[in-house]
Amino acid sequence: MTAVIAATHLSKWYGNVLGLNDVSLEIEAGITGLLGPNGAGKSTFMKLITGQMKPNIGTVTVRGRKVWNNPTIFAGIGFCPEHDVFYEEVTGWEFVTGLLRFYGYSGSDIKQRAARALDIVELTKDKDRLIRGYSRGMRQRVKFAQAIAHDPEIIVLDEPLSGLDPLGKRKLIKLIKAFRDEGRTVLVSSHVLPEIEALTSRIVLVHQGKILAQGDIPYIRELIEAHPHMISVRSSDPRALAARFVGDRSIQKMSFAPDGRTFVVETHKRDDFFARLTGVVLEGGIEVEEISSPDDNLQSVFEYLVGK
Amino acid sequence: MSIEVKDLSFRYGKIVALDGVTMKLGEGAVGLLGPNGAGKSTLLRILLGFLVPGRGEGKVLDYDIRRDRAMIRRSVGYMPESDCFVAGMDAVTFTAYFGELSGMPRQEAMKRAHEVLFYVGLGEARYRLLDTYSAGMKQRLKLAQALVHDPKILFLDEPTSNLDPNGRNEVLELIRDISSNKSIQVLLSSHILADIESICGSVVILNKGRLAAEGRMADLRAIDYSLFELRLKGDGEAFRKDLESRGCRVDETEDKLIKVYMPEKSDRMDIFRAASRTGVQIRYFVKSQTSLEDLFAGVVGVD
Amino acid sequence: MATVREKGYSHWDGKLTERRFPWWPITRTGILLAFRKKRFKFVFAGSFVPAVVFLVGLYISERLEDFKAFLQGSDRLLNINPNYFKTYFTNDSLLFLIVLVLGFAAAGLVADDLKHNSLQLYFSRPLRKKDYLLGKMSVIVFFVLILTAVPGLVLLIFKLIFAGSFKFFLDYPWLPLSILGYSALLTVFFSFYVLFLSSLSKNTRYVTILVFMIYIFSDILFGMLSGIFHEPAMALFSIKANLQQAGAFLFGQKLPFAVPAVWSFLILAGICVLSAAVLNRKIRSVEVIK
Repeated sequence: MTAVIAATHLSKWYGNVLGLNDVSLEIEAGITGLLGPNGAGKSTFMKLITGQMKPNIGTVTVRGRKVWNNPTIFAGIGFCPEHDVFYEEVTGWEFVTGLLRFYGYSGSDIKQRAARALDIVELTKDKDRLIRGYSRGMRQRVKFAQAIAHDPEIIVLDEPLSGLDPLGKRKLIKLIKAFRDEGRTVLVSSHVLPEIEALTSRIVLVHQGKILAQGDIPYIRELIEAHPHMISVRSSDPRALAARFVGDRSIQKMSFAPDGRTFVVETHKRDDFFARLTGVVLEGGIEVEEISSPDDNLQSVFEYLVGK
Repeated sequence: MSIEVKDLSFRYGKIVALDGVTMKLGEGAVGLLGPNGAGKSTLLRILLGFLVPGRGEGKVLDYDIRRDRAMIRRSVGYMPESDCFVAGMDAVTFTAYFGELSGMPRQEAMKRAHEVLFYVGLGEARYRLLDTYSAGMKQRLKLAQALVHDPKILFLDEPTSNLDPNGRNEVLELIRDISSNKSIQVLLSSHILADIESICGSVVILNKGRLAAEGRMADLRAIDYSLFELRLKGDGEAFRKDLESRGCRVDETEDKLIKVYMPEKSDRMDIFRAASRTGVQIRYFVKSQTSLEDLFAGVVGVD
Repeated sequence: MATVREKGYSHWDGKLTERRFPWWPITRTGILLAFRKKRFKFVFAGSFVPAVVFLVGLYISERLEDFKAFLQGSDRLLNINPNYFKTYFTNDSLLFLIVLVLGFAAAGLVADDLKHNSLQLYFSRPLRKKDYLLGKMSVIVFFVLILTAVPGLVLLIFKLIFAGSFKFFLDYPWLPLSILGYSALLTVFFSFYVLFLSSLSKNTRYVTILVFMIYIFSDILFGMLSGIFHEPAMALFSIKANLQQAGAFLFGQKLPFAVPAVWSFLILAGICVLSAAVLNRKIRSVEVIK
C-alpha cells in the first residue's frame, strides 16, 4: 500500500521543550488512530502534518510533496482541532463559508459546499445562529463541517467525538467510516481508547516524542512479550478446569476471580490452550458461560507499553 | 432508597425540560444518560436543590427536594464538568476551604483535605499552586473537593473529560473504588458509554424530558432468546453447517464475529460439541446482550 | 492489639455544623488572597498615609504651640473640631486611596469566580446566594472600615490622650456616631459599587480599570458640566462629590456644594440599589450545572 502521509526523521522542539524526536513513519489510506499520553507529541505531529509548523529536522510529505509552506497541499487536507477556535460573533454558516474562501472557490461553489457540509453534520437548521449560542455538541459539529467542506483527501481529527452525546458519536463514527470507504485517509487522535477501537484497529502510539508502536492492535499485542496473553473462562467449575491445565507448561500464571466462577490464565501459547480447551470442557462435563481475552484491547496495549 | 422522585416536571418558560419523571435509585453506581437537551442537567439541578420542580416531589437522602434544599447539599458532593478553581490557592487550602463551606469545622476540614488529596493521587502536589496544575490534576482536584465533606451521594459530571488514557483509567479506578464502598451512592453522567459500562450497575436514560429507561444494566440489556457470540480458529464452514443441521441459525458479521442463535431450551454446550466434531478452536464465547449503545439508540429513537 | 488502616477511602465521622456566619470562610479567604497579590501590601500600607498625617496634625495642634508660629495662616488645620474629622474623612486623597485599595484587593472578588467557574463549587455547598454575596462584601467592609472607622476612632482616642482630658468628647458627644455613620455609608456604598463592577466582567484587570475610571470620570464629568452649565447641581454627577456632601452633612459641617444633601444620599442609595439588582441577576443567571 502506498503511503499517503510520510514522515522522515521528523523532529521538532520548542526552545528546549521536546515535541517530536526523530519520527519516521508512513500513514496509508484508511483510518489510523493516533494515541499517547499528554505531552507525547501527538498535537505536534498533527500540526506538522497540516503544515501549521515547520519541522526542525526532517520532512513530512503528502503524496510525496512537502507540506510546509505549500498552500496547494492545504486544499487536500482538512483539520478539526480539539479546542474551540471560533469567532463567537459569526454564524455557523458564515464560519464555514468564510474559511472556504481561502481555498479559492467561486461564490456559488462555496455556498454549495458549505450547505452540503452543514447538512452532513446536521446543522442546517442552526446555520444562521451565532456560534456563541451553540451548545458543545454543535460546536464540535461545525468544526467538523469546516474540516470536510473543501472535500479534502486527508482529514486530521483531534478528539472529534468529545462533547457529542452517544448518538452523535455513533453518527460521526459512521461518517468517518464512510470517508474511509471513499478511499480517503483519516487520522484520528483521541484519549478515549474504546472510541478509537470503534473506528479502526490500526494505530500509532506516540510517547515522549517517539513512535512506540505502529500497526494493527492485535499484532502489536502479540509482540508484547513481557505480558503473556490473558484468557478468562467463566464456568460452573473453574477449579476442575484449572486442575486439568495445571500440568500444562505453556501456562505461566493461573488465578481465580473473586466471583468464584472465573478462572484466568496467562500464556504465551494461546493456540495450545484453545486447542485443548474444548476437549477438556466436554470431557469434564463443565458448563462454560464465557470465554474472553481481557487484555486483548487497546487499553491494555497502552498500559503495557506506556505504563503509569 | 437514596434518591426517589415522583412525577417531576419543570419548564423554563415555554420549554418543557422535564415531564413527569419518576424513579427510585438505590445503592451502587447509576449512570445517567441521554442526548443533549434531554433534561439531565435539569434533573441534576433539581436533585441538588437549585431548582424547585414545577410539579412533582421527591427526596434525596430523606431530604425533601422542595423544603430541604440547602440540607441536600450538605450531604451531596458534586464534581462539575467544566474547569473550576480559585486562583492563587494551593490544593490543600482549596479543598479545606470548600470543606469549611460545606459546614466542616476548620481544623477538621484541613485534616480531611490532606487525606482526600492523597486518596485522589494529589498527595505530592498538594502544596503547589493550582495555577500550575495540569488538566488531569485539576480533574482530580474537582473530585477531591466533592469528597472532602464525606458526602453520601456523589454526582459526577463527565469525570474523565480531558484526561489522557492513563488519567482516565485512574479516575475510573477511583470512582469504582468509591462506589463499591457501599455507603456512597454514585450518580455518573457521561457521554462515554464505555465508562458507564465499566462502572455502573444501573442506568437511567432520559430523552426529551421523559424517562426512557431505568433499571439494572444486566436486566435492561438481557436478550430473551439465546444468542451467542463467538470467534473461532479453524474451518468455520464445517462448524456452521454442523450447527445449522441441529436447528441453530449462524451468522457472521464483517468483523469475523460469529453469531449463533439457538432454539429454546437448547444446551449451549452443543456449540462446544460441534466445535469438537469439526476441529475448530473457540477463542471467544459470550452470551450476547444488547450493547449499551444499541440500548441507548433503541430507547431514544434513532432516525 | 494492632490495627491496620486500609489505604482506600475512609469515612469522616465528624458532624457538619451550621455556622452562624456560613460565609465567614469566604471573607477570610478573600482577605488572604488580596494580600497575596503582588505589591498590594505596599498599596495597603500607603493607604494609611492620610491617617498618619492627620494623627501628626492632632499631635502638633495639641503639643507643639510653637508650631503655630511657624505655620501662619494654617489656623484651619490646627483647629481640632468635628471639621477636622470631616476633613480627614472626606478629603480627596483618602477617598481615592480607598478606591485604590479596593481596585486591587476587591476587583477580582466576583470576576475571578466568574472567570474560573468556581460559582459551581460555592453553590453546590449549602450556601445561599445571600451568603455568598455577604461573604464577598465583607472583604470590602473589612478594607473600608480599616481605612475609615478604625483610624477615625483611633484619631478620636489619641485626641483625648494628647489633650489629656475628655473635654473634646463632651463638647461633641455625637462625633463617634458621625464617624461610624459615615464609615458605614462609605462601606455600604463601596461594597455595592465594587462588587457590582466585579460581577460585570471575567477579567479582574478590566474591573480594576472600571473601578478607577468610573470614579475618576464621574468627577471629570462634573467638572466639565460645571464649566458648561455653571450649576451647582452638576456636583451630583460626581461620585466623589456625593460622598463629600454626605460626609459634610453627617459631621454637621457646611456642605461643600450648594445642593441639598438629601440628593447626594439618594444618588448613592440609587447606585446601591442598581448594583444589588444587577448582582442578583448576574449570580442567578450563571448556571451551576450546564
